[in-house]
Amino acid sequence: MAQFSLYQEEFHPSPWQKTWREFRSSHIASLGLMILIFFLIFAIFAPLLAPYDPLQQNVNALFIPPSWNVNGTISHLFGTDALGRDLFSRIVYGCRVTLGSSILLVLLAMIVGVAIGTIAGMLQGVRSSVVNHLFDALMAIPTLLIAIVIVAILGTGLVNSMWAITLALTPQFVHHTRSLVRTEMKKEYVLASKLDGANHFQLFFYSILPNMIEMLVVQGTIALSIAVIDVSALGFLNLGARPPLPELGAMLADGMEVAYAAPWTVALPGLTIFLIVLAINIVGDGLRSALRKRLTQ
Amino acid sequence: MINALSRYTILFTLTLLVLAVLSFALIYLFPGDPLTNLTGLVPQNDIQREALIRQFKLDQSYPIQFYHYLQQLFLGNWGYSFISGQPLREEIGIAMPATFELSTYAMVMALLIGVPVGCYAGLKSYTVSDYAINTASIFSYSFPVFWLALIFIMLFSLEAGIAPLSGRISLLFEIPNVTGFILIDILLAKNINHGLALIDAARHLVLPTMAIGLISTAAMIRITRRSVIDVMNSPFITAARSRGLSNRQIFMRHILRNALLAILPLMAIQVTTLITNAMIVETLFSWPGIGNWLINAINQRDYPALRIGVLAVSTMVITLTVLIDILNRLIDPSREKFERGTI
Repeated sequence: MAQFSLYQEEFHPSPWQKTWREFRSSHIASLGLMILIFFLIFAIFAPLLAPYDPLQQNVNALFIPPSWNVNGTISHLFGTDALGRDLFSRIVYGCRVTLGSSILLVLLAMIVGVAIGTIAGMLQGVRSSVVNHLFDALMAIPTLLIAIVIVAILGTGLVNSMWAITLALTPQFVHHTRSLVRTEMKKEYVLASKLDGANHFQLFFYSILPNMIEMLVVQGTIALSIAVIDVSALGFLNLGARPPLPELGAMLADGMEVAYAAPWTVALPGLTIFLIVLAINIVGDGLRSALRKRLTQ
Repeated sequence: MINALSRYTILFTLTLLVLAVLSFALIYLFPGDPLTNLTGLVPQNDIQREALIRQFKLDQSYPIQFYHYLQQLFLGNWGYSFISGQPLREEIGIAMPATFELSTYAMVMALLIGVPVGCYAGLKSYTVSDYAINTASIFSYSFPVFWLALIFIMLFSLEAGIAPLSGRISLLFEIPNVTGFILIDILLAKNINHGLALIDAARHLVLPTMAIGLISTAAMIRITRRSVIDVMNSPFITAARSRGLSNRQIFMRHILRNALLAILPLMAIQVTTLITNAMIVETLFSWPGIGNWLINAINQRDYPALRIGVLAVSTMVITLTVLIDILNRLIDPSREKFERGTI
């Protein structure tokens, strides 16, 4: 029996599906996403994937070159470092430390930033102006400075450097949340909810938050790439993770002392950081252009 | 306009005041004796200690202490370095211009290369050359600056031997420190061969500048490209085209001006990235700048130096940001508030 069809299309893709379709149609963006997922798998399943303990030292296997070198062995895929530790295992664990801690601190900065930004956006008058401009000013202070102060007070360590980076990233989320809340609050659908008697909390959770998620995802990818670079930079400057911990930046600093004899101990961790950041940036770029295309359609 | 300017001034002073309060709080937050953290002097006996405490008003209440602290900041008595014993003001006066010089050259490089290339990519948007430029810029944008600098050192200093490894200038040249900018100082110096000294300084400059500049250039290309594409899609370009203006006229009169307007506020964010990168790269090239100085200070637990150094750098960064914002407001008064735009 022929069905009566009122609409031209039976199936209406949701905004997310549309974005995903646009995102997938770009080959470069899909490739970036694949690389990112690859590194995420490294980070999550590090104990299963790493062939050796990343801290295990082996006096009989110092400075073994990577396996593609003539003198390398396949038992150490990326070779070993100055203490005979397997570089591949250290890099796998390094992804876990660097990427994992970056994701955690971006989520934390996002939650805190959205909370403060919403309050700042709903405030009015002098109070809001002061809050807004103070946060804009704080946005300008480099992470490195905040990290130096925190390290001077609390001492070095991965967790302390994470606090510093969270502090430095939060103002960005505050800024974007605040301007988004500001514009959304003026729209009619919010007014309609207000007339229905919604209080501030309901207004935020049911009306504004769903519209904010796209912005948060895009800002999150930008923040994540900054966070990965900052975590490894602080590790590299000996302000973050301490040397035995396999953090990619700290590994790079370790390798610098023997860079001339064993260039791969500098090249490979650096390449890993570069690839992680590149993948995040490509995914972020793809997301932004997918959203832009969806909105212009 | 006066309204906006006065608002900027008030907020700027407020921010600086908050920074001063924070740096004052650091005296008590840092480990060790507050007196030593404040002055950098270690009292030898109880009598000297009493005298110093009275001199710096540490026996008074916190607001009075802070007032005294502010006074001392304005007078230029910033205390002494714990390690070298030098007045901190002099040390910062030498280190800060070195960083500023490096960042300036990198910024100039980013503007000179980034803006034209970005315009080109924007005009040819979604063609092969645009994709090539975009890919190259996203690649260079993703480099961790310390790794890039290491690669440069390995390639150009150790393998090829083209550029020197560290420092600002060969020790053979004796350059008196006048402005703190090495190239200007060389021109002002007497009794040296200016040509040779300039070439030597330029060779020292090229690697750190390239390392910082490459990342800033990539960011600038992306910002310019996006802004040009946005402007090209606006209706007034179609109107100009329908009036029969040539491509060149449209570009020079309509696209370029409007696109550059949108770039300026984004430069405010770039300043922070630029100075952070400069500070990291300095440690690798032993560049005698503020980043190197701060890292040394933290490794030696030189708390008075850290307190003032952090205050000085954050003041510089915030001043630059606010200046760019005000400039932006002056050029484009229609803009209600400064926007941060998209890349």
